[in-house]
Parts: sequence; C-alpha cells; structure tokens
Amino acid sequence: MRSDGAHRAHSLAIRVVLSTIFLSLVVVSITGSTLYSRLSTGIKQVNLDTAIIEARSTIFSAQYRLAIASGNPADSVRDIFSAVITSATTVGSNESGREVVILQVPGTAIGKSNYEISSNLVSNSSIPEYLRAKVRNSENLESSYVRIEYAGLNTVDGIAVGQRISIPNDGDYEMYVLFSLADQAATLALISNSLYLTGLALIILIGLIIWIVVRQVVKPVRDAVRISQQFTEGDFSQRMQVKSNDEIASLGNAFNAMAESLEKQIARLENLSRVQQRFVSDVSHELRTPLTTLRMASEVIHNARDGFDPVIARSSELLIGQIDRFERLLEDLLEISRFDAEVAVLEAVEFDICGSLERCIADLSLVAKETGIDINLNRPRDSVFINGDIRRVERVIRNLLSNAIDHAEGKPVEVRIMASADDVAIGVRDYGVGIEPRLLNRVFDRFWRADPSRARTRGGTGLGLSIALEDARLHNGELEAWGEPGKGAHFVLYLPRRAGDQLQSRLISLKG
Amino acid sequence: MTLVMVVDDDQDLAEMLGIVLTGAGIDVDLVSRGDEVLDVFRNNPPDLVLLDVMLPGLDGIEVCKLLRAESMVPIVMLSAKGDTHDVVRGLEAGADDYMVKPFRHPSELIARIRTRLRRTNTDISGLLTIADLVIDVVAHQVSRAGKQIALTRLEFDLLVALAREPGRVFSRDALLSEVWGYRHSTDTRLVNVHVQRLRAKVEHDPEHPEIVVTVRGVGYKAGGQ
Repeated sequence: MRSDGAHRAHSLAIRVVLSTIFLSLVVVSITGSTLYSRLSTGIKQVNLDTAIIEARSTIFSAQYRLAIASGNPADSVRDIFSAVITSATTVGSNESGREVVILQVPGTAIGKSNYEISSNLVSNSSIPEYLRAKVRNSENLESSYVRIEYAGLNTVDGIAVGQRISIPNDGDYEMYVLFSLADQAATLALISNSLYLTGLALIILIGLIIWIVVRQVVKPVRDAVRISQQFTEGDFSQRMQVKSNDEIASLGNAFNAMAESLEKQIARLENLSRVQQRFVSDVSHELRTPLTTLRMASEVIHNARDGFDPVIARSSELLIGQIDRFERLLEDLLEISRFDAEVAVLEAVEFDICGSLERCIADLSLVAKETGIDINLNRPRDSVFINGDIRRVERVIRNLLSNAIDHAEGKPVEVRIMASADDVAIGVRDYGVGIEPRLLNRVFDRFWRADPSRARTRGGTGLGLSIALEDARLHNGELEAWGEPGKGAHFVLYLPRRAGDQLQSRLISLKG
Repeated sequence: MTLVMVVDDDQDLAEMLGIVLTGAGIDVDLVSRGDEVLDVFRNNPPDLVLLDVMLPGLDGIEVCKLLRAESMVPIVMLSAKGDTHDVVRGLEAGADDYMVKPFRHPSELIARIRTRLRRTNTDISGLLTIADLVIDVVAHQVSRAGKQIALTRLEFDLLVALAREPGRVFSRDALLSEVWGYRHSTDTRLVNVHVQRLRAKVEHDPEHPEIVVTVRGVGYKAGGQ
C-alpha cells in the first residue's frame, strides 16, 4: 500500500515535468528555427550584396584596363588578365578565397588567340552552363550560387558573379569572380550550435523549476497519503504540517480536523468498551466469593438431605443444580470478557489430540447414555500429536459433543478425526433436528437459540459455540457449521498442527 | 488434631470454610488480614495454610513469600482469579496448590487438603536414589554427597513419586492425581511450575535436567538410569 501510494504521487511529478519539457521543446524548436532561418537569410543576403559590389569593381577595372590597352599585342592582354586576377585574388586574405575565371564566349573568336584563364587551378566547370547563358545574353552582372571546383582537389560552396567583357580585336569573353562561402557556413554553424545549446539549457532549467514547484505542491499530498496510511494501521497521532495560508494549507487543516475528530471518537469508543469489559470482568470476579459460600452451604445442606422432608430435599437438589448452572454461566461470561478484551492467552503444549477426543467422549458418555445416544469415533490407529492449548481444544470438543447430543434426537453421533502433516480436522455429525441453512451463520452468536421453544436439555449456557469459535480462532484454526432441517448438523473444527500456523487444507468436507 | 489456618477477608466465606473443615474433623484458625498472618502463624503453627490472594493489609502473594521464607508448611492459595498470570504468580511465590473460587465441590477442597497433609507412605523403608541424590523417605530428607537439600513437602512428594518407580514415565495427569490428589483435571500448569521449582533446587544445571527428565509429549520420569 505504502510504496504504491508513494509511487502514484511520484508519477504525478514526473508526468508534469515530462509534459512541461515536451511543450517547451516544441516552443524552443519553433523559435530557434525561425531565428536561425532569419539570421541565415540575412547573412546570405549581405554576402551576396558584397560579392556583387566587389565583382562589379573587379570586372570594371579589368574592362577599363583592356580598353586602355587596345591595339597592343596579344601578350599584353594576358598580362592584363593576370594582373587583374592577382589584384582580385589578393584583395582579402588568402582564406577569403576569391577566384577569377575568364572564359571565351563560344563562337565569338576573332583571332587565333585564346585568353581563357582561371586563378588557383579553378576548373572551368565551376561555372554552370545556365549562368554562362545568362551572362552571354545580358549586359549586366549576373550571379548565382555555385560549387567552386579546384582541379583534382576539393570543392567549396560559393557565389559566382559574372559579366560579359570584350577584348578589342579578340572577341567577347565572360569574366567571373567567385567568392567562397566557407566563412559563411562556419558562421551559420556557430549560430546553430549556439541556438541548440541555449535551447537545451533552457529546457533543462524549465524542467528543474517545474520539478521543484511540483514537489512543493505534491509534498503535502504525499504527507496526507502517508498519514492516512498510518491511520489505517491504527496510529492516530500523526498530523499534517501547515505552514502557509494557501489551498494546500486548507487541505492540511481540514485533514487535521478530520484526524482530530476520528482520534477522539475512537478514543471514546475504546474507553467505553474498556470500561464495559472491565465491568463484566469485575462483576464476574466479585460474584465468585459469594458463589463459593453458596456452593459450600448448599453442599452441606445437600449432604444432610436424608433427614429432610421430601420437598426440602428436592429443593436442595434444585438449589445445587441452579448454583452449578449459575457458575457455568459465570465462567463462560468471564471467558467471553477475556476474548472481548483480547487478553485470552494461548498456552500451547504438545499433546495427543486423539487421546483428548477419547477423554471428552468418555466424559460425555454418561449423558449420552441417559438420552440413548451412541457416539461413534472414527480415528487413526496412531496418536496425533499437535501443539495447542489442550484446555481450549478439549473445551471446543466438549462443546461440539454436547451440542450434538442435545440435538441428536436419539440418533447416533459420528465423530471423525483426520490429520495431515500440517493440519487436523475434527468433525462432529449428528442426524437430529438440523439447522436452517440461512440460520447457520447465527449458531455462533451469543445466547442464540435455533428454536426458542426448545428446552436446553443439558442446561447449556448459550455461550458454548461462541467460545468454541473464539478458541479455534485463537489457534489460527476455524470452526464451521453445516446443517439442514431434519438431516442433522455437521460441525468441523480445523486446526493447524502448530498453533498459530496458517491452515493449509480442509481435511474434512463440511457438507453432508 | 490437624490445624488449618484459613486466611480470607470475606467473613461469610471464612465461616463457611470453617463449618466444612470442622465437619471433616479439621481444626480451623481464622485470620482476616494479611498482616496478621505471620504473628498467628508463629504463635500457633498450623499444619496447612489456606490463603486468599486478595487480602487487606498485605497481599496474599506477599504473605505466601514471607511464610515460605520461614517454613515449609503446605500452602494452598484461594483465588477468585483463574487467570494463568495470577495462578503462576501464586505458585512462584511458594504455594503448593491453588483453588479457584468457586470450588467445584467442597469435598474436593477437603481431598486436596488431606493429600497435602498426608504423610508420605512409609511402606518403603530405607533409601531411594535418583542419579546422585539420596532420598530418606522416613526421615523426609534429600541429600547429595551428604549435604542436605531443603525441599517443601510437595516437592519432596513429587521427587519420591518419580523415584519410587524409576522406569515409569508419568503423565502430568498422573502426577496431578498422585501428588496433588486431583481427581480429574487438565491443569498442567501446576505440574510445570513445580517441576521447574524442584529442578532449580536439585539439578546441577536446571537448563539440562538429569534428575527430573522431560519425556516429550508425555510427561516426566526419574533420570539417572
């Protein structure tokens, strides 16, 4: 119970934390990716703008130099191109990776010379055909994202900006300036990593905060669960701690008020029942001394009855009989009060239960004979030793036997005993008046009679079966009854062979 | 004539006990307060004391301890409480026997008193032995290596009963009838308590008895064979 309750309280906290983390994960990823996409778009745009501006100036300067040098021999064109390339590729640092590619527009060759050139072994295929087509058909700068390929080596993302230029007397060329985007990729990677880290830290932080908050809310609930469990176990002293002034505090106050009232009620009831039990016990004890005097006096009178008038002699017999009955009643009441006060003690010894059974049958055989009833015993040949309170066990047996004799109506009473390694069972079966099945659960009630008009032939106290049931239960055994009107009744006492062990089996079937 | 001291604060019961005992040929000395018992006892030592547990002046259990401290006189406790706790307390204080009020039959009270007063049968003259104990039945003495061991009359009777038939295993019921004079009873507490008291006095090691040996599930027998 306890671990279960604690587990439920535990899982509430976990559930809240998990759903909070899930929700914040969603929010953080949405904001994070939006932020990232806006940043990267911005950075790319800036890079593109810069590239176009720089390319324009480079290409313009190349065109300008070519125009100045027109009419010069072919070598000077080459010189101009290499100068342009050198100045363009060394403007920034080397890593800024600026490259220049100059390609001849196909079908425009005028002379034999071909001035196609590229810096740092950038292969011509770095310029995709669609860009070349655009550049050829346009007077303006054209740009595109490309992959810059170094001959036989690596490739890198980049921007290519190109324009058509013409070399006087030597036809048209396309000049491209390529800008590496490696820096941009690194910047974007840095941004995205930072975003991931920040998001993760944020989620962990939110999780922790929620965990702490939930614990604060859940703790009083857990306390309430724990205290309720202690209540269930009979400890009414526990109270919830009330520190604040909120809803949790009013839960605590209400809980404590309930606990207070419960404790008072139970204490009151316990006290009442203790007073009552004490009273029954005291009355029984106080009655014993006068009863002793009464008994001795009646015995003295009874012993002298030979010289009495017959009426007085009979009266003395009745007196003795009633004193006996009174005494049995007193003993039974006292025994019941011990059970009620839970002070009945089991005095377990090792004894042969078959021997006890035979002794009890012998004790009652005189009464049985008077009413013409045979008691048949079916027992194993060997002794059956059990560990139990011999006084109580024999009392149960005697109660069952005299009950059977009272109701047997002249028919025989069958007594059976069965034993296994763990348990014994004693069945007492009569074939007399029987009991209505619906009344079976009442036969163990105190002072209960199946048929109030029926006389108690043996002057039983009406407490015998109640005491027998308590005796059986004190051994951790059971006493069960079966009956049908006209078919008789069957009472079976089940006992563990060691008093206090659990019953393993029902060796005698109750029915029939 | 036998003298029995009856200690009970209930005047009517004491008078009735007096009538019954006198009728059985026993003299009676009535005492109603616990703190008067010792004086009366010393002035006029009785053969047996019938002692109620609840007494004004001094509790019956205490009176029993005081009497036992100076005498081996048989003591029978009268108790209105049949609870084990009280019975065992009385026996441990030194009582030989107890009777719970109301007595089943006054004649049983008389029978018990007579059993307690009975001189152990002197038909066996001479000495009995259990292990290294020597019992002189006639002189009512028990000794080990010449050293006397003081036993109450009941403890002596219990030891003699066992020693007289060395091979026999006595059930608790058998001991109750032979030593205490019970006709039928299943109150084995009485036997258990007295066997323990006897062992405490005569055994070398009461935890591992060699003189009064337990026979599991049956009872006791004399050891040392």
